[in-house]
Amino acid sequence: MKNTSDRRIVFGTLAAALLFLSASAAAHHGNSAYDEQARVTIKGVVTEFVWTNPHSQIYLDVKDKNGTVVHWGVETNSPAILTRAGWTSRSVKPGDEVTIILCPAKNGAPIAYIGSGDPGTKVIFSNGRELDFKDRTAPAQ
Amino acid sequence: MKSLIAHSIPILLTLTFASPATAQTPPPKQGAQTTSTASTDSHDLSGVWQLASGGGGQGPGDNFPPLTAWGQAKYDANKPGYGPKAAPGGNDPILKCDPIGFPRVVFTIWPFEIIQIPGRILMFFEGQHAVREIWMDGRKLQDDPDPAWYGHSVGRWEGDTLVVESNGFNEKTWLGAQGQPHSDQMKTIERYRRIDKNTIDFNLVIDDPKTYTKIWNAEPRQAKSRPGVEIQESFCVASEEEEFNRRIREPAARPLGKD
Repeated sequence: MKNTSDRRIVFGTLAAALLFLSASAAAHHGNSAYDEQARVTIKGVVTEFVWTNPHSQIYLDVKDKNGTVVHWGVETNSPAILTRAGWTSRSVKPGDEVTIILCPAKNGAPIAYIGSGDPGTKVIFSNGRELDFKDRTAPAQ
Repeated sequence: MKSLIAHSIPILLTLTFASPATAQTPPPKQGAQTTSTASTDSHDLSGVWQLASGGGGQGPGDNFPPLTAWGQAKYDANKPGYGPKAAPGGNDPILKCDPIGFPRVVFTIWPFEIIQIPGRILMFFEGQHAVREIWMDGRKLQDDPDPAWYGHSVGRWEGDTLVVESNGFNEKTWLGAQGQPHSDQMKTIERYRRIDKNTIDFNLVIDDPKTYTKIWNAEPRQAKSRPGVEIQESFCVASEEEEFNRRIREPAARPLGKD
């Protein structure tokens, strides 16, 4: 891909093709950079899992339909929230082949959000294991 | 309360290490029942709590009283990521890991623990791993204290209600994620009343004549107990947040096609 702008446009088109709307998706997260009504599915190979406060991050390489590799950055919750959902700092490793259902950036950049405020967002591993954001501790009573 | 951290660390260390049994026992696994939420003593608020979702979202609400000219200018300058003024990017002070401050810290998506010790109530917030002290030893608020991120707070019991009065805030924090401003003239009154084992009614009054033309009674909220939840280390680390901004937040906020 010869430049980033072109890449974004191409990828924005790809994202639009993959995009489906979920009318029931509640937009609690409120980060206005993301389209929280949308759910987009990408598949790729993890390059990095960043376990930091207050935002953890997953980076992965995704091949588009032309075989071009696009590097995605996916924002997610704080380690505390992820821990209560059953994640650990070792849950996602470089080299893992994953499918991620995410909320894309509105501007078409290969940046996205997954997390507790956006139902349906999750990480699915090639062996079928899934990581989502449901709180596994006792719910608020 | 010249230094919140200086006061708080010895207290927390004492709480953590005072008991030999505690010191020698491995930490319980996440999910273990370690909080004292079984009590229904109306003067016992100890345990882990989390504000239930409700009006106001991550702040005291958008239904604030008319702003003064000073308050309006400050509100106009605030560019939040939430609420009616939400836009990508923005200048929310917590994006640089500035302290969340009170009262905003109560409204975050993270739980907090109430720790009652002689002469003090501590609110230990998961968000930014912050501790707030409420002095219960009968002292009065100073008339003109030095400004602090969490202000200065004194509390007392009125029947079964904990009443907390605070002043001495700096002007650097927002009242909520929607960018509501305040001044260093702000005084707040909180009321906490435990209505059953798992529920605290929470009311907040904001009196800030430099910013708002009337006293602001925030929408009533409830805190719910979180049995099994332990407050985890959730510092905001400026160097990590700066890297996050560079890799995620800024490229996600750029107009389409701009680098």
